[in-house]
This record gives sequence, structure tokens and C-alpha cells, in this order.
Amino acid sequence: MSSLSARLLISVSILLLFFFGVTGVVLDTAFRKAGEQAREDVLEGHLMAILAAAEPSDNGDLVMPPDLQESRFSAIGSGLYAEIRDSGGNTVWLSRSALGLAIPFGLVSQDGSRLFREESFADGTPLLTLSIAVQWEFPDGELRPYIFKVAESLDSYNAQVAQFRQQLFGWFGAVAVIMLIAIGVLLGSLLRPLRQIETQIGEIESGSRQSLAGEFPTELQGVARNMNILIDSERARSERYKQTLANLAHSLKTPLAAMRALISQTRRLKQADRFNEQIDRMDEIVRYQLRKPAASSGSLMSVVPVAQEIDRLIEGLTKVYHDKEPEIRADIADGAQFRGDKGDFLEVSGNLLDNACKWCARRVLIAVQPDAAGLVLSVSDDGPGIPDDAADALLQRGTRLDESTPGHGIGLAVVKDIVRSYGGDLTIGESELGGAEIRVTLPAA
Amino acid sequence: MRLLVIEDDATLRESLAAKLEENGFAVEQAADGKEGLYFALEYPIDLAVVDLGLPEMSGLDIIREARRKGKAFPILILTARDRWEDKVDGLDAGADDYVVKPFQFEEVIARVNALLRRSGGWASSVMNAGPVTLDMSRQELVVNDEPVDLTSFEYKIIEYLMVRAGQVISKTELTERLYDQDYERDSNVIEVFIGRLRKKMDPDNTIKPIETLRGRGYRFALERGETA
Repeated sequence: MSSLSARLLISVSILLLFFFGVTGVVLDTAFRKAGEQAREDVLEGHLMAILAAAEPSDNGDLVMPPDLQESRFSAIGSGLYAEIRDSGGNTVWLSRSALGLAIPFGLVSQDGSRLFREESFADGTPLLTLSIAVQWEFPDGELRPYIFKVAESLDSYNAQVAQFRQQLFGWFGAVAVIMLIAIGVLLGSLLRPLRQIETQIGEIESGSRQSLAGEFPTELQGVARNMNILIDSERARSERYKQTLANLAHSLKTPLAAMRALISQTRRLKQADRFNEQIDRMDEIVRYQLRKPAASSGSLMSVVPVAQEIDRLIEGLTKVYHDKEPEIRADIADGAQFRGDKGDFLEVSGNLLDNACKWCARRVLIAVQPDAAGLVLSVSDDGPGIPDDAADALLQRGTRLDESTPGHGIGLAVVKDIVRSYGGDLTIGESELGGAEIRVTLPAA
Repeated sequence: MRLLVIEDDATLRESLAAKLEENGFAVEQAADGKEGLYFALEYPIDLAVVDLGLPEMSGLDIIREARRKGKAFPILILTARDRWEDKVDGLDAGADDYVVKPFQFEEVIARVNALLRRSGGWASSVMNAGPVTLDMSRQELVVNDEPVDLTSFEYKIIEYLMVRAGQVISKTELTERLYDQDYERDSNVIEVFIGRLRKKMDPDNTIKPIETLRGRGYRFALERGETA
């Protein structure tokens, strides 16, 4: 669970479930308690009414008036029933409403106390019953025991409870969903600055942005500021690294050049050659070590405007190859950009163009097209071309120093190293101009 | 021709200057950027060899400043890093060619000769005008298929005139660009050398390669030929 929003939403959901669940159970219990109390009071009232209505008859029995005050006793199947039994368990009186129904008469009160019970008809209809045993004093002074029992169907009450529950949990559910949606929306707006920072850091890495900018909330301003400081120092570090390399190259190569100068003044030619050989070796090592592609040093990338840099290269090469006057044509896709290190890009296109100028008869073409991953750059010339076996040898040649030779070789080895460090590829083929075509793919770093 | 070498490493600078002088050039040396720029702006210079990594002021800044001030002489850069980023920066700033350290002296001299030729509008390494052919890399002058034996100073004069074939070159310019130190040398000396050159190149006075323009100077007068 790595997402903050997911974490928050899940914990809030659990909390809401717990809160509404407990509240629901408490409310439900309270509602039922109150309902039951009310039912019992009502039932007791009915029992009292029946007791009050009973009259001793002349033949020593209890009789009930034909019409009771409570009309539901008279309506068949009304849900309110009453029965009077004598001590032998024989029904003395049964309310008209209970016509055809047998009121369960299992456990009843045995003394003057009231006994509430939940029972049910044979068909399962739940009932709340109240029974009372009384000693009825007849006019002749005789005491006869009777059991009075009233029963009320719980169907409507249960339906009421069910409806209450449905409403209660329906509302709770709706409120919970609304709260979750509200929290989700709130989270979205709270986390937007964080997402903004994330996007901007991505842009900085790929070079299309220099620093974090925008209206950040107070809590994040410090983060953004420190982030910018970090980015600046990283950029400065990478700049210093380049500068150090340049200084190192200068301070190593100048003495080498000076040594060569001194050697050229000696008359011992054999020794001079051997010294020069050693100088060449040192030079190659320095060159190789200082040429490592920037992509592999993990520095921040930038966006290189391809057309502009290639124009500079062509302008420079036109000067260098002034005598040869090669006709260099560039076919660059509009707005083509390279995401990576500018030095690396110049190294790749510079070496390829330099080789092409070196080998061409007259014409050189550099074409750059964007593709899904980055750029496809191809350089063609109308020179002698590179035979297949030589091409294989050039490509199979590793980066080992002693195997690099001047000409197409060393430049291509460097280009290949850089292209590989970006995860791209280099192929050698035949160009439409008649000579060699070197094609490299340069995915964004 | 007068060259300027700006390089902070004394051994390298002095060896390079010596090598260039051996090849017939007058050489000014500067050991840091500021001095280099001063020479580049104030001295009569035909070509500058500039190291990119200099104390006081970078080679790139010297090149930019010299170009900004309208100096058009060719500039050859010496660079320690052979990354294209550095080469392009140098060429972009106004340099004309580069040599990567550690270089062979022959390479520097070849580049210097090529740049000087180019600055005079010659495309090929061998300059040819009518019966006269001058090979800068060999310091060899051939007239009517016969090599002409020249002293080093005579060679310097004919090379200077021929590179700028068609242009009028004053005596002052010749003295300034050809002598190592003493600019005040009597301009009559130039006249003497021109006279000797004419005799050696054109004993029968038929080709007339060098024209005198009274009060203005000299001009190499032959039509530039096809490149050899």
C-alpha cells in the first residue's frame, strides 16, 4: 500500500464502518427497547380492559359483553386477541378476532403476577402475549381461578422495526459514501501540490525544466526549496566534474605535447620512436578515460535542440574541411530534440559527420527523425563505403584501446560506447548516396 | 609571415615556436591569455595558434574578443580534450581549425600552412600561377619546371607575396611580417631582396612575377592558375 490516498481512504473506510456500525446497533437496540416497552404497556391496557369487562354470570361463570370497547377484539384476524380459561384449561371465552385460531396456551402466569412471553401461532406468526391468573370472587362468595390472556401479533411491529433498520442503515450508508467521496476529492486537492512536485522532478530529470516552481502550500515550501538547492548543487557538481575532466585533460596532455616537442629535438631517432610510442599509449589512455559518456555518470540531462547543434557542427566542419568543400546537407525533423547530455550528442554526430567528411567524395547527408523511443540519426556519404567484413570488425571491436585505430575506427568506437550507454544501437549500411551510412538510435536518457 | 603562439606551457611553447621558425615563420610568443590577447590585437599577425586552456583568460575568450575587434587572421586551436563539444565551441567562437594535444609538429605546421594559404584564397596545398609553382609544405619554388634555390628570407618574401597574389603589399608590411624582431630595419633591404628574387626567378625578365607599384609596395602579378 504505497499510495497515500489509498492508505487514507482505506483507514477512513474502516473507521466509518466501525462508527456507523456501533451507532446503528445502539440506535436499533434503543428503538426496539422503546418499542417493546410501549407494546407491553398497550397490551397491559388491553388486559385490564378485558378484566374490567368480565362479569360473573348467574350460572357461576364469567361472561363477556358481546361488543368490547376495543373493536380489534371483534374484527376477525385483526392481530389483537384475547382468551379466558378456567382452572381446568377450558376456554371460557375467546375474542371474535381469534376465530379459527388457536392461541398458544403453554406457559401462563400461575399467580397474580403478569407474564409477558413471545410466542407464535401454529403458522409461525410471532405473538407477544400477556397472561394473568386471577381468583374471581363470585357474588355467592366463592373464589374461582381464571386465566386471562391477551396476545398481539408482532407482524406489524416487526415490519416497523425492519423499516426503521432499513432507513437507519440506508442513511448511514449514504452518508458514509458521501463522506468517502468528499474525502477522496479533498485528498485529490490536498495531494495536488505533491503530484505537481513529482511531475516537475520528472521534467527536471529529463531536462525540460530547470527547477521546482509554482505556488506550493506552506508545508511543502521548505521541501521545494531544499529540493531546488539539491538540484542546483547536483547541477554544479556535474559542471564541476566536467570542468575537472577538462582541466585534467589539459594538465595531462600539455606535458605529453611538451615531451613530444623535446623528443623531436633529439638526434637519437630510434629512442625518439620508442618514447613517442609510450606517449601515444599514455595519450590513448587519457583520451579513453576522459571520454566516458555523460549518460553513464548519472548526471542531470538536458534538452538538446538538434537542428541548432548540428548547424554548429556543419559550420565548424565546413571550416575544417575547407579545402575539400564537402556538400553537407542536413535533413532534421522540425523541432527534433535530444534528451540527454549535449556533449554526448555532439560527440556522436560530430564523429559521424567528421568520418563522413573524411571519406566522402563530395556529398554528406545527416538525417534526424524522431521515433517512439527518442531519435534516429543517420549519416551518409558518397565515399567508398565500408565493406561488410570491415563493418563487422568495426562493430565487434570492443572499447579496448589497443584495438582502436585512427580513421573510421576510433570515432565509431566512441560513438558506439555513447549510443550503448543510452540503450541505443548503431548499424553500418550502404547509403543511397553510394557510400557508407551509419545509423544510430538514441533513446532519451 | 608572423605567427602568434599562445600557450602557457613553456617547454611546449618554445619548442613549437622553434619548430615554426625553422619553417620560415616569425613567431611571437605569449604565455597567458591576457598577454596573448594583447599581442593578437596590437601586433601585425598573420595567424594565431591558441591553446584553449590558458591562465588569466581562456582561449575561447581570446578568439571571441579578437574576432569582435575585427581581427580576421586564421586561428588554429590547440585543444587537450578531443571531445566535439570543445572543438565546436572553439570553431564557433571563430577558430578555423583545431589540433588535439599531444600533436606531431608536422601536423601543426601542415595546418598552419593550409590556413595561411586559405586566408590568401588558395584552395590547394601547392600554389600555382603561370610558370611559377610554390609548395609551402616543402618550402619549394619551381619556375618553368626548374627548382629555384632561395635563401630563407627570399623564400619568406615570395611566399608572403604569392599567398596574397594580386594584393598590393607595402614594404612596411613585409618588414613587419617577415623579420623576427627588428621592425625598424631599413626598407632598402627589402628592395635588395626583391631584386635578387626577380633575378633568380626570372633571369631573362620574361615572366615578371613581381610588380613594383611606386610608393605603394609590391604585388605578385601572375594570374592564379588551376590548382595542382
